[in-house]
Amino acid sequence: MAFVLHTGLPNKNAFKALIAAAYSGVEIEVVKNFQMGVSNKTPEFIKMNPIGKVPVLETPDGPVFESNAIARYVTRVKADNPLYGSSLIEYAQIEQWIDFSTTEIDANLRRWLGPRLGFEPYNAQTEDVIIGSLKRGLDALNIHLASRTYLVGDTVTLADIVMGCNLYWGFTRSMTKSFTSEFPHVERYFWTIVNQPNFLKILGDVKQAESVLPIASKKPTAQPKESSKPKEILKPKEAKKKKLRKKSQSPR
Amino acid sequence: MAWWWRWPTQLVMEVLHSSLPNKNAFKALIAAEYSGVKIEVVKGFQFGVSNKEPNFIKMNPIGKIPVLETPDGPVFESNSIARYVSRLMADNPLHGSSLIEYAQIEQWMDFATTEIDPYIGRWLYPRMGFFPYNAQRALSALNAHLATKTFLVGHRVTLADIVMGCNLYYGFIWIMTRNFTSEFPHVERYFWTVVNQPNFRKVIGDVKQADLIPPIPSKKAAVQPKEAKKEASKEEPKPKAVEVEEEEVPKPKPKNPLDLLSPSKMILDEWKRLYSNTKTNFREVAIKGFWDMYDPEGYSLWFCNYKYNDENTVSFVTLNKVSGFLQRMDLARKYAFGKMLVIGSEPPYKVKGLWLFRGKEIPGFVIDECYDMELYQWSKVDITDEAQKERVNAMIEDQEPFEGEALLDAKCFK
Repeated sequence: MAFVLHTGLPNKNAFKALIAAAYSGVEIEVVKNFQMGVSNKTPEFIKMNPIGKVPVLETPDGPVFESNAIARYVTRVKADNPLYGSSLIEYAQIEQWIDFSTTEIDANLRRWLGPRLGFEPYNAQTEDVIIGSLKRGLDALNIHLASRTYLVGDTVTLADIVMGCNLYWGFTRSMTKSFTSEFPHVERYFWTIVNQPNFLKILGDVKQAESVLPIASKKPTAQPKESSKPKEILKPKEAKKKKLRKKSQSPR
Repeated sequence: MAWWWRWPTQLVMEVLHSSLPNKNAFKALIAAEYSGVKIEVVKGFQFGVSNKEPNFIKMNPIGKIPVLETPDGPVFESNSIARYVSRLMADNPLHGSSLIEYAQIEQWMDFATTEIDPYIGRWLYPRMGFFPYNAQRALSALNAHLATKTFLVGHRVTLADIVMGCNLYYGFIWIMTRNFTSEFPHVERYFWTVVNQPNFRKVIGDVKQADLIPPIPSKKAAVQPKEAKKEASKEEPKPKAVEVEEEEVPKPKPKNPLDLLSPSKMILDEWKRLYSNTKTNFREVAIKGFWDMYDPEGYSLWFCNYKYNDENTVSFVTLNKVSGFLQRMDLARKYAFGKMLVIGSEPPYKVKGLWLFRGKEIPGFVIDECYDMELYQWSKVDITDEAQKERVNAMIEDQEPFEGEALLDAKCFK
C-alpha cells in the first residue's frame, strides 16, 4: 500500500504521521518539492482538503486531512497496534490526551505564536490571557506526569506522539528553559519522548528555544520593546530560503 | 438464574459529570442515544463549585467539564468521551463501515474542533477582521464539502455529525444569525437536518437560531444571556454562556457610506478583470487600460510604506504579515484594489504598496476596522506628477528591479 503525504517540511503536524508510521512499520512517501503557498493552493489539493491546509495523506482509498486524524489512520493500518493501548479504557485515555494536547496545549500555542509568525495581529493583553491558559494546561499535564513516564500505560502510545509533536513546536519556538522549568515533569517527559529512536529519526536533534520568537507586527504603543534581531533557531531554515519570489511559508 | 442476570445495567452505568445544557456534554449524550448506552448525569452539579472539588480534580487535573466516570476510571475531553461511548457498542455504525470511513469521520471531528469551534468561541476578538475571516474560511470549506452530501461521511449520522452538530449549535444559537449563515446554504441545511434527528432532539430539544448578535456586555455584568435561558430552560448556570459573554462581539454594521457616493464611470470589477486577464503586453494593455478607466472624482490612489521595515528580518514572517493584511482587507473587496511589494534580496525587507480606493479619501471603515492601516504611512498619489504616475505603473506591473532592488514577492488584492 502506498501512502503519500502532502506537506512542506519541517512541519510538526506532518511529524505526527511520520512518527506513527515509524512505530507501526507503515511506509509513507513525502511528496518532493512541496511548496507552501503554491502546492496547497492548486485545485487538485483543494479537492483533497477544501480548506487547503497541510498535511494531507493520500491513501489508496482517498485522501485524509487533519493531522490527528491522519496519525490515527496510520496507526490503525497496523492491526492491534500497541500505540492504541490494550483495552477500551486505555484507548479512551489515549484519545483523551490526544484531544487535551490539541485543545489545551496546541490551541494556546497557536494563539501565542500566531502574532509572532505574522498570522494574527498582536495584542499584549490577549497574549497574557493566552499564556495563562497555556500554563493552566501545562500545569494539569505536569500533575498527571508526576508519577508517570508516558501519558498512558508503560510504553509510547499515539497520545505521546501527538503530545510530543505539539510540545516540540512550543519547546523550539517559544517555551524557553525559564518558562518550562515551572513544569519539571513536562520537561522530563518531553526530553524522554523526543529522544526515543523513532522520534529522533524524524525530528533529529531538538534544541530548546533560547528566546521567544519576536513579534512580527508591532503596534507603536501596545508592547514592550524587544530586540527584533532574528533568533538563532530560525537561522538554519532561513538559509534554505534564499530563492527569490518565495511564497508565504510558515514553519509549522 | 438467567445468564444475563449477572450484569444488571446498574453496575455498568456510566456517570457524566457536567452541568446542562452544555454542548460538550451533549456530544456524549447524543452518541449514547445512538449507541443504546445508558448515561446518568450527576444531579445538582454546580459549575464553578463541583468541578473545583479535589475529587473532581483527581478525575480531570484541569478541572473542566464534562468528565465521564466509567467502571474502569474517568475519561475527560468531550470528543474522547463521545468516542469511548460509541465504542461501547461493538461495530457501531457511528464509526462508519471501513477504515477509510473511520478516518474521514475522525478527520471531520478534528476539523470541527480545530477550525470551527475555536472561532465560534472567540468570535471577533478586540481585533477586527481576523477571526470572522477564519470562521468564514472554515465554514466555506465545510459548505463546499456538504454541497453534495447530507451527512459528513457516508449516508447516515456518524460520530463526526454529532461533534460537528454540537459545535455548530453554539454558533447558531448565539452569534451566527440567518444573515451570516445564508452565505453557507449547505451548512445551514446540514445543521437543521442534524439537529432535527430524533436522537438529537431528545437531548438538545428545539433549536432556535440567533436573531441578533448579542451586544457587547460590560465586563462586570457576567450573567447568562437571556436568549440562552429561553433556549434551554433547565437548571444550572451555563459555563460556556459565561465564556462567550466575556468575548467582545461585533455591532451590526450600518450601510456602507461608499455606496451612497455619486456613481463613477470607473467600474472596479472591470479593472480587476483587465488586470487578471492581461498576460502579455502588460504596459500597453493593462496599464494603458487602467489610466483610460481611472476616474479621479470617484476613486483615489495611495502609496503606503510599512513603518517598521527594520523588523522585517525573516522572509516568511514578512510575507505572512502582508498576506494577513490582505486577508483583513477582505471587508473592502468591493471598494479597493491593491498591490503590495516585498522588496529586497536580503533582510531587512521593505514593504511598500499601492492602493486604489473608492472615494477621494481612504475609506473611514477601512481605517477603523483594519488594524494594519496604522502600521503604514499613507500618501495620496498626485496624478499630475509624471514621476508618481510612473511609480504607480511600476507597482501595478511588479516591475523588477523596483527602485533598484529585487522583489522577494508581489501580492495583489483584487
